[in-house]
Amino acid sequence: MTSRMLGIGFLSPAIISVCIFFLLPVLLTVVFAFTNMSTSTGIMGGDYRINTEQLRSLPDLDVSEATVERLETAGFQITEAGLTALADQFSKDTAEELREDYLGETFESRRDLERVLKDLDEPIRRTRDRKEAADLFAVTLIGERFGTEEEFRAALGTTGIDAVDHDVLTEFAYTGWTWTTDNFSLLMELPSTLRYAANTAFYVVATLTFNILFGLFLAISTFYLPGRLANTFRAIWFLPRILPPVLYVLMWNWFTWDNGFIATVMGWFGVPAKNWMMHTSTHAWTAIVLINGFVGASLGMILFSSAIKAIPTSMLYASEVDGANRWQQVRYIILPQMRWPILFMTSYQTLSLLTSFEYILLATDGGPGRSTEVWALAAFHTALNNYGGNLQYGFGAAYALVLVFIGIALSVAYLRFFNFKELLSKPRIEQ
Amino acid sequence: MTAHPRIWHLVLILSIFSTPLVIMYVYQVIDSIASPDPGSLIPGEIDLSNWRFLWERIDMGRPSIWMVTFNTFIFASTTAFLVTLLSTTAGYALSRLDMPGRPYFLGGLIILHAFPTITLIIAIFIILQFLGLFDTLLGIILVKAALELPFGVWIMKGFYDTVPWEIEMAGVQDGASRFRVWWELVLPQVKPGLAALLIISFLSGWSEFVLPLVLAPGSSTQVLSTYMNAVIQDDASADFGLFKAIGMFYSIPVIVIYLVFQKQLMNIYGGGTKG
Amino acid sequence: MTNLFRQTALVGVLAGLAAPAFAEDINITVWAGGSNDSDSYRIEAIEIAADILEREAAILGEELNITVEGRRDFSGWDEFKQGVTLGAEAGTAPSIVVTSHLDIAPWSTAGYIVPVEDYVDLDAWPLSNVYPNLMEIASYGGTQWGIPQDAESRPFFFWRETLEGIGYTEDQIDALPEMVASGEYTLANVLEDAKKALDMGLIEEGYGFYPRPSNGPDYAQFYQSFGGELVDPDTGKLVLDKAAMTEFYQFFVDAVAAGITRQNHIGTDWNQWYNEVANGRAAFWHGGTWHFGRYAREGNDDFWNTIQFSLIPAGDDDGRANTITHPLVYLVMNQEDDRVEEIAAQLVAIATEPRLNSLHAIQSNHLAVAKAQSDIDLYRGDRWASEATEVLLGAANSQPNHLNYGAFSEAMFRGLEAAWSGVQTPEDAVAEVEAQMRATIGDDLIVR
Repeated sequence: MTSRMLGIGFLSPAIISVCIFFLLPVLLTVVFAFTNMSTSTGIMGGDYRINTEQLRSLPDLDVSEATVERLETAGFQITEAGLTALADQFSKDTAEELREDYLGETFESRRDLERVLKDLDEPIRRTRDRKEAADLFAVTLIGERFGTEEEFRAALGTTGIDAVDHDVLTEFAYTGWTWTTDNFSLLMELPSTLRYAANTAFYVVATLTFNILFGLFLAISTFYLPGRLANTFRAIWFLPRILPPVLYVLMWNWFTWDNGFIATVMGWFGVPAKNWMMHTSTHAWTAIVLINGFVGASLGMILFSSAIKAIPTSMLYASEVDGANRWQQVRYIILPQMRWPILFMTSYQTLSLLTSFEYILLATDGGPGRSTEVWALAAFHTALNNYGGNLQYGFGAAYALVLVFIGIALSVAYLRFFNFKELLSKPRIEQ
Repeated sequence: MTAHPRIWHLVLILSIFSTPLVIMYVYQVIDSIASPDPGSLIPGEIDLSNWRFLWERIDMGRPSIWMVTFNTFIFASTTAFLVTLLSTTAGYALSRLDMPGRPYFLGGLIILHAFPTITLIIAIFIILQFLGLFDTLLGIILVKAALELPFGVWIMKGFYDTVPWEIEMAGVQDGASRFRVWWELVLPQVKPGLAALLIISFLSGWSEFVLPLVLAPGSSTQVLSTYMNAVIQDDASADFGLFKAIGMFYSIPVIVIYLVFQKQLMNIYGGGTKG
Repeated sequence: MTNLFRQTALVGVLAGLAAPAFAEDINITVWAGGSNDSDSYRIEAIEIAADILEREAAILGEELNITVEGRRDFSGWDEFKQGVTLGAEAGTAPSIVVTSHLDIAPWSTAGYIVPVEDYVDLDAWPLSNVYPNLMEIASYGGTQWGIPQDAESRPFFFWRETLEGIGYTEDQIDALPEMVASGEYTLANVLEDAKKALDMGLIEEGYGFYPRPSNGPDYAQFYQSFGGELVDPDTGKLVLDKAAMTEFYQFFVDAVAAGITRQNHIGTDWNQWYNEVANGRAAFWHGGTWHFGRYAREGNDDFWNTIQFSLIPAGDDDGRANTITHPLVYLVMNQEDDRVEEIAAQLVAIATEPRLNSLHAIQSNHLAVAKAQSDIDLYRGDRWASEATEVLLGAANSQPNHLNYGAFSEAMFRGLEAAWSGVQTPEDAVAEVEAQMRATIGDDLIVR
């Protein structure tokens, strides 16, 4: 087997799954961002229908008055054609009876006609059948759903709508999604956009700063502690990283809620009980930064610790012999070695913080007053999760697309910065 | 390092910062086995009724905890297995095999590695639906595995990179195929990497919350994270004792894995760098 | 894919073999949003209905086996609606959902639900007995999409002891509902009395007026209290009354400034909230008719001597005392197999039988959906059901079934949140709400 074939064989399963669940979604996100897809348009295309609610806005459309009137009044009419169909599909007697009493009559709604069908001497007994029977007499298309454009246009013809108005009405009646760039103009227009962007920037900068400073502090201080003590502290700070987020945030909720730990302890000093996470936006931000920061700091601790361990001990001993105090040791020997890990941590975490919302969702859900709503959470809320059940996939995708662009741009920048070529040492066996 | 007389300063500062976490851990354990006593921090009597969710349904509308646990286990272990399998082969290909477009694969990998995966969830939903895998365990397994892959491949590539070329050279010169060389000579060298990746992806699957929440909302596909969240959110009971007991139950595998593999975990998170 | 194929094949078989002795197996799934243990009859009524329908079929010589599977363990309305919507897109939607009537407009437009009127006779018992205004709420665009599952309304509550503490006599307290209804007692009086109670030390700071801690239809009531209208009756368009909206926000800001409402109130834990209002920690609050039972579970078994209830008071002279009824409805979801839809619709109709619906109404302290329920001992014997109906339901209105109402109410609440938590002034918040609504609702919005 050649190594080329083996390489393709080895790589393809990974590539296929990445393509399906990674690259394809990126492409689809781009596509969706240019649609008005939402709960009411559905995702998989739509039907054609005009209901009585829509009738009210018909006058706003560019259609003739005759058309509006025809649509409103067409109703259900007892015609010979309909009666023949009724005789075929249901019973001759029923059709005969209907002809005698009602031929030529028009009913405004299907329900009126269904009542007639039910009260005949030879009634149609099942509700389902009555509806089908009534449909044989339909002239109107109000309230009917048509699966395809052809069917709808045909129905417009049957109802007797002037052909000039067909195009406008067809577009009006379509329930599916359409292409649009409105999502982006909406993003520009909405005052919330700027706030979410500012929230995100604050969140990323504050959390990142905390992560790095505190991660450094943890790494350096545990470095100077005797082994067992250091390990204890490392264990304490490592746990947030691997505990399930749902549980980790639950612990914070317990710590901060109205009858929780802080409130109880502060209660001893006469401070009235309050929710220390949600009291004001300052409280909420503090909680968010700490919740994320504790997790991030543990990553920083591990990264920086291993970088410190890589410093040759001889350097440290030498500095002690030279009479450097601990602070000088940190300042002149350890910190300069931390430059790359810090850079790496910064670039890496900027991206993951930009797009992560899990902890915020669980902790404050963007509250109070949307003050901790970050961009990624706004995308999630808009597209998938809000009280009204009003899921705007298209608009949400537009939010997401902004992040996709930032993500790609940053990654490419990092690639250049961290000298991609170095990673690319040629396989040696082939030469 | 050398002992220092003023070390207690450091310990003090560290302890102050660590206090909130320690309090949270301690009360997490205490509250799960003691009867709740709101407004006081002294635990009440030992009370195992918080663990009642194990032998009865806490609310008739909920699936049984054992089914949920089973789902979580299947989800996490299958994901871990898939990620490890695909990363092992792909990592080797990227590390050692010469093939067209290798630089692009590597570059793409790095970009993906640092990519906003969760923002794609709407589109992922559409794909799952198209495949008929929405609201199935298999669906979220495939998605989770795919999203973890860039990280896994990156880790494995790193491990392969450290295997000396001489081992392979020797194998190839003996006339073995590249596949056999990989299987018999290289793979044993990266065993620690395999184990680490397996553990990490298992933990990551075990903790996953948003994917099952959105992509598998049915009751037969509940996992512990969504189950626990639903119990917490339910406005019929604010029973922190119960929540914490469920949390304890949920985190048992995590704690066990942590205690057993502590060292390896720290190493790989340090080297692997997943945020 | 195979599933789809199998189901198509099954339909074919069913159509081909309409033989009488054919045993038919139907699986019905019911998802109920916002339901906990006391709402179990939302699902159990369907199970009972299935039993009845099976027996009816057996008498006709048909063997019908209906399996009902219920689910109500959603962590909130958000997750429930997300699950139903995505499930409907994926073709794995439940057969029946119990949800807010507001979902009818978007879900019918998307084709997720089918009209019940296609499957059941609305002129026949028991549907003919359902209150016409409730039936109206479950219809949209001239089609009857759903059947009301319960009725409720959202009253304003007073803690009697606190009122007595600030000088009300028992007679005055008993007369409060009428004073509220006639507009003599307004939200301004609420502020005043709550402040008094706070100053006298009867309540703690933040517990004068203690509103619902999360988004809900309740907040539209306060918009109406200040003269706001949700929908324009002539054009059917949504209405943003800026003056009313500003006053509505201002009321909450004033309450915060006076120290009778907490600035960070939204997001308070529901359990804590129930416990506090049930035991007199708050002077004024608002909730729903179903709270009656909840207060008892929180340890207040003497509702009538501790709590008074009324409509939501008017805000000023332009407004009116009002309450919103927000019935949940049974909706039948679009299925591949038409027969499942038909059975589902029939089950919903049977579950609306007065006796069955009363089980839910009384167990969960909701109100009846059908007239005949007041003749059923279980319902008639319940003091809360009858008094709440009398005081509240006459003046109750509902939110409009409108395609964009979801966006409207979301924007309204976000504005309130921003003003309430002090992030924006009421004026700024309303300006932002206007921008948001103009952008998302567009032509379907009238701004006054």
